[in-house]
Amino acid sequence: MGLDFVGQGAGETDGNIITTTIDKVVNWGRKNSLWPMPFGTACCAIEMMATLASKFDLSRFGSEAIRFSPRQSDLLIVSGRISIKMMPVLKRIYDQMPDPKWVISMGACASCGGVFDTYTLIQGVDQFIPVDVYIPGCPPRPEDLIDAVLQVQQKITSGASPKGVEVVYE
Amino acid sequence: MNEENQVEEQPKPLILEKLEANHADALLAQDASRGTVVVVIHKDQVSAVLEYLKTDPELAYTFLVDVTAVDNSQMESELMQFDYARFMVVYQLYSFQGQCRLRVKVPVHENDLNIPSATGLWKSANWLERETYDMFGINFEGHPDLRRILMPDDFEGHPLRKDYPLRGRGERESFNFEKQNV
Ligand code: SF4
Repeated sequence: MGLDFVGQGAGETDGNIITTTIDKVVNWGRKNSLWPMPFGTACCAIEMMATLASKFDLSRFGSEAIRFSPRQSDLLIVSGRISIKMMPVLKRIYDQMPDPKWVISMGACASCGGVFDTYTLIQGVDQFIPVDVYIPGCPPRPEDLIDAVLQVQQKITSGASPKGVEVVYE
Repeated sequence: MNEENQVEEQPKPLILEKLEANHADALLAQDASRGTVVVVIHKDQVSAVLEYLKTDPELAYTFLVDVTAVDNSQMESELMQFDYARFMVVYQLYSFQGQCRLRVKVPVHENDLNIPSATGLWKSANWLERETYDMFGINFEGHPDLRRILMPDDFEGHPLRKDYPLRGRGERESFNFEKQNV
């Protein structure tokens, strides 16, 4: 996290002061308190539920506070098939989430339509919303979802802005 | 004589006996050979027959399980059997009293897609008929609210028809995402 301990010699401040940058502290907090918004529309959502439940326990990584209101969340997990009729709903939910926000596209269907190359299915949600991490698999194992959350955390630590941010203010 | 060769005479199901006695002219075909009773009914008398099936105290098919349709346009054997009717509307019924199921099939020609609605008999027919309309374009006359139920309102065509292309007619690309009521 870029911590530096100040004060090497004998004295009152010895090891009691740390210096860092404000961004790093904020990102450290963000990373460990991701609040996911689940968008489960099909079988992948079952694996997402398993990931959140006690057996795999996503809360070990600080992301267990599932919010069903997009306004309180900063990580959108798209898990399942998205039809053309559902896409406006997903877009609306994404738009309602406050910045900074990250998106995980879970499974083959959300990422590219999967085996459902049919008249009604979106062939990849990234045509409409920016996706930060894709998970392959049909369905992906809960470990894969945990790995994706860890990748999001890595992105946050590294200071990279989410894909959804169009203008980056320096 | 070998016992296995003796075919046991199955009693004729009550439903078939009663239909033959009361609605013989509506009955186009019947089959009870594979555990489910299937009857094919002429379209003109579908309302009368369905009402009879529901209200007759001995039959009492009070539960409409499903309404759907089949597009037989590529099933030559089926087409020949029923005067080249392209669609077959299918009703699945259940009788709690007799604990038995019944499948009622009605041939529908492509040039006359109208069929009387069953919403007056079973409330559950409402959404099921909307789905059949959405997917096959069958027009249920007398339905209180015959709109699409699965596809978007401005969708064109009926996608479960066999001549509908699997990848669609470009609606994935041309769908207006901004104009939808969310
Ligand atoms: S990727 Fe597989 S498991 Fe996931 S929603 Fe699609 S079909 Fe279901």
